[in-house]
Amino acid sequence: MPPASSATTLPQTETHAATTLGGVWHVVLLNDPVNLMSYTVAVLRRVLGFDEATARKHMLEAHEQGRSVVWSGLRERAEHYAFGLQQWHLTTRLESDETH
Amino acid sequence: MKRIEVKLHLPAVAPLLDVIKASADSLRHDLAAPLRLDSLDDEFRAEWEAELVAAQNEDVRLLLSLFGHEFFGTGIVALDGTNAEAVVRACSAVRLRLRTGALAALPDEELESGAVEVERLAEPVRRAFMCYVFLATLQDLILNNLDEAILGP
Repeated sequence: MPPASSATTLPQTETHAATTLGGVWHVVLLNDPVNLMSYTVAVLRRVLGFDEATARKHMLEAHEQGRSVVWSGLRERAEHYAFGLQQWHLTTRLESDETH
Repeated sequence: MKRIEVKLHLPAVAPLLDVIKASADSLRHDLAAPLRLDSLDDEFRAEWEAELVAAQNEDVRLLLSLFGHEFFGTGIVALDGTNAEAVVRACSAVRLRLRTGALAALPDEELESGAVEVERLAEPVRRAFMCYVFLATLQDLILNNLDEAILGP
């Protein structure tokens, strides 16, 4: 991992280019009727670092609407989060902006 | 290290263990929550599945290890930082497998609300349902008592 100081010297255009090339990816949590609400909230906090209120909001959104976008950004990071959620048996999808 | 010990009612729990073990065994090569990540290429997807199945197997092994020889002597299961996360995940995996197996005929609404008429269920389904409830209780217990200490970000 590069030192923090080098990260701040990256030209803004380079970051933008990377995002554009990779596109924006969404980690979508799907509702399932098995996992407990308290479990889902705990997992969202654990994997995505959400506070209690944010985790609860996403859990309820998935419960009521069938899905909730829990994270958006570069693909590599989206895959990391999707893998983490799957490891806790929460069903997820990865969607790119281009699929909408 | 925070640790909880739970004294379980042996005559109630012992008959459930065969069902839990059978479900756990059926998970050896499959994910409890199948991957729905169509955007992954085949090779990457296969790597993910293999890694997730291996992790799931280890979690299930730790869950089953709670109910070893010592448990049948004391009725006590002990949970701490070394096993709590794995056990809570394994409970989820086995519950998902029960849902798609022995409990497949029960409507989601009944299972979610808990409004299942247990006495109307055939014996194998009743036992599977009791397992389903027992594992949820175990999860709740861990989350309520060890959440901040163990499952925090």
